[in-house]
Amino acid sequence: MSADVRDILDMERANTPEVTRDSFLATKKRNFERTKTASRRPEGMHREVFALLYTDKKDAPPLLPTDTALGIGAGYKQTKARLGMKKVRKWEWAPFSNPARNDSAVFHHWKRVTDNSTDYPFAKFNKQLEVPSYTITEYNAHLRNNINNWSKVQTDHLFDLARRFDLRFIVMADRWNRQQHGAKTVEELKERYYEVIALLAKAKNQTSEKKVFVYDAEHERRRKEQLEKLFKRTTQQVEEEQMLINEMKKIEARKKERERKTQDLQKLISQADQQNEHASNTPSTRKYEKKLHKKKVHQQPRPSKVDSVVNAIEIGSSGIKFADLRGSGVSLRSQKMKLPANIGQRKVKALEQAIQEFKVDPAPPPTEDICTSFNELRSDMVLLCELRTALSTCVYEMESLKHQYEAACPGKTLNIPPSLVPIKTEALDNSTN
Amino acid sequence: MTDFGGDSGGRLKGVTIVKPIVYGNIARSFGKKREEDGHTHQWKVYLKPYFNEDMSIYVKKVHFKLHESYANPNRIVVKPPYEITETGWGEFEVIIKIYFNDQSERPVTCYHILKLFQSPVGDGELTSSTTMDTKKGLVSESYEEIVFQEPTQIMQHYLLLSEQSANELLPHDTTDFEEKKTKTLDNITNVKQKVKGEIVTLKDKLKLARETISKFKAELAKVQKQPA
Repeated sequence: MSADVRDILDMERANTPEVTRDSFLATKKRNFERTKTASRRPEGMHREVFALLYTDKKDAPPLLPTDTALGIGAGYKQTKARLGMKKVRKWEWAPFSNPARNDSAVFHHWKRVTDNSTDYPFAKFNKQLEVPSYTITEYNAHLRNNINNWSKVQTDHLFDLARRFDLRFIVMADRWNRQQHGAKTVEELKERYYEVIALLAKAKNQTSEKKVFVYDAEHERRRKEQLEKLFKRTTQQVEEEQMLINEMKKIEARKKERERKTQDLQKLISQADQQNEHASNTPSTRKYEKKLHKKKVHQQPRPSKVDSVVNAIEIGSSGIKFADLRGSGVSLRSQKMKLPANIGQRKVKALEQAIQEFKVDPAPPPTEDICTSFNELRSDMVLLCELRTALSTCVYEMESLKHQYEAACPGKTLNIPPSLVPIKTEALDNSTN
Repeated sequence: MTDFGGDSGGRLKGVTIVKPIVYGNIARSFGKKREEDGHTHQWKVYLKPYFNEDMSIYVKKVHFKLHESYANPNRIVVKPPYEITETGWGEFEVIIKIYFNDQSERPVTCYHILKLFQSPVGDGELTSSTTMDTKKGLVSESYEEIVFQEPTQIMQHYLLLSEQSANELLPHDTTDFEEKKTKTLDNITNVKQKVKGEIVTLKDKLKLARETISKFKAELAKVQKQPA
C-alpha cells in the first residue's frame, strides 16, 4: 500500500522483492494453509455443501439471487417501477338501466369514457323463456277435457306461474295458490303443463320441428316415493340391511368354495382312473407304483424325440443347410464353408468333435470341389451325431425296461440284442482309429 | 481402352470368374531379443496371386490392418507386391482388405493370424499351412479364392486382362497347394465314405433298438398284468 503511494508520488521505493512466479505461488500456498486450519469441514458434511457455506475469507455464501439490472427479469432493481407507458384512460360514474327490469329503475356504475355503448352488458344473460299461450277457443277445442279435471282457471294460473318463474316448477309449486285452486304437487303441475304444450303443438301445426317433451308423471312419482322411503329408513333398518348383505356374501363365498372342492375331487378321480388304466394293478408297493408312474411320464416324450430324429433322417432334412451364396458380387470362397448362424452351440461342438475324431482339416483350401464335399461331409457328421445320441437314448431306455422287467419278475430277464450292447466301446474304438 | 458406355454398372448374368490367391506371412527370428524395443522377429505379411498375374489390373489397393500397437497400423499398398515388412515380438490377427478397381464391387476381407513361432506338432493348428524353411524362415500361408459372381462389365474386362498377363503357376516353393488340395479332397471323400457307412449301420441299429424297445414294453406289460 505504502509502496503504491510512494510509487504515485514518485518517491524512492522501499526495497521490496520483485514478484516472481515462485514467490507468488509460495505466498498463495501459505494463505491457503492458514485458511484450511481456520475452518475445517465438519465430519459427515458433504464437500459440496461445505463449499457453499464458507470460502477462504469466511465471507457471505454466494447464495444471492443473480438477477441483474440488465437481465430479463429486471424489475425490482429499477428505482422506478416501469408500469404502463400509455396515458391513463378515464372512467366515469355513469347511469344505466337494466332491460331485464320493467320498473325503469336507474342505477350507476363505473364506465370508461371512451366506451360509448349504452347497452347494459349483462342484459344478454337475461334469457326469456317462451311459454306458449292459448286462446279461449283453443282451450275449449283441445284443452277442456282432461283426465285430471283441470279447470280453465287452474290452467291459466299454471301458465301465469310458468311465465313468471320461467318453468321453475319447484318455485311454481311453492307459489301455487292453494286456497283458490287446491293443493297441487310438482308432478301434477308438470304433467298438466306438458300435456297442454303437447296438445297445443299438435293442434297448431303438425310440422313442429321441435320434439315435444313427454313427461312420465307416474314414473316420476314412483321415483320420488322410492327416494323418500330410502331417506326415511331408521338406523335399525339400515343396520339390518347391512347385516343381510354381509350374510349373503358369506353364503356365496361358501358356495364357491364347495364348487371348487367338488371340481378338484372330480379331477383327482379321473386322474386316478387313468392311472389305473395305465399301470393296471401291479402287486408292488405304493412307492414302486409311484416311481413307475414317474418313469412313464418321463419316458413318454423320449421315444417321440427319437422318432422325430428318425423321421428327419428318413426325409433327409437332418444335417446342416449351408447358405447359398448366389446373387452378384464379390465374395471369398471360404465364406461358403461358414456354418450358418442358426446352428445351435451343441451342434457346433459335436461337429467340432467329429471333425477332430475323423482327422479332417477344419479349414481346408477352399476350392469349389472341396467346399462342396466339405459341407456335405459336415452335414453328414451332424446327422451321425444325432443318430448316435438317438441310439444311446434307445439303449438307455432298453436297459431301464430290462431292469423294470427284472424287478417285476425276479429270476427272469430280457435279452438286449448283442449288436446293441457294446455301442459305447465301439464308438470309442472309432475315435481312436 | 474399350468403350463401355454409360452402363458399365450392368452385371453380366451367369458369369463367374474365380481368382485364386495366397496370403500369409514369413517370419525369421533374430535369435535374440533386440535391445531397444524387445522385438524378436522380422516378418513379412503378404498377399499374392496364386497364378502369376498382375493383380493391380483389377485390384485398386490392399489394406493391411496391423495390431494397434504399431505406428499407423493401417497400411495401404496400391501396387504389387502387396506386402508389409515389420519387426515384432508377438502374434496377432492381420486384417487384409482387398479393394477392387470397380467401386461397385465391394471389398473382401481376409483374416490372417501372423505366425512367428512354430506351433507344437499335433496341435491341430491347421487353419493355414505352416512350414519351416531353412532359407526363408517360418512360412504360414493360406489359399483362398476370390469369386466374382456376375461381375460388372468393366470388372470382367479387368479380370480377363489380368488373366492374359500371365497364366503359369507362380513358384510356391514353400507350400504346395496343389498337393494339399488333392490330399484334402481325397481325405474328405474317404471320411465321407466312412461317415456314410457308419450312418447306415447306426440306422440299422436304431431300427433294431426301437423294435427291441417295443418288444420289451410288451413283455413288461405282460408280466405286470399277470398277477391280477
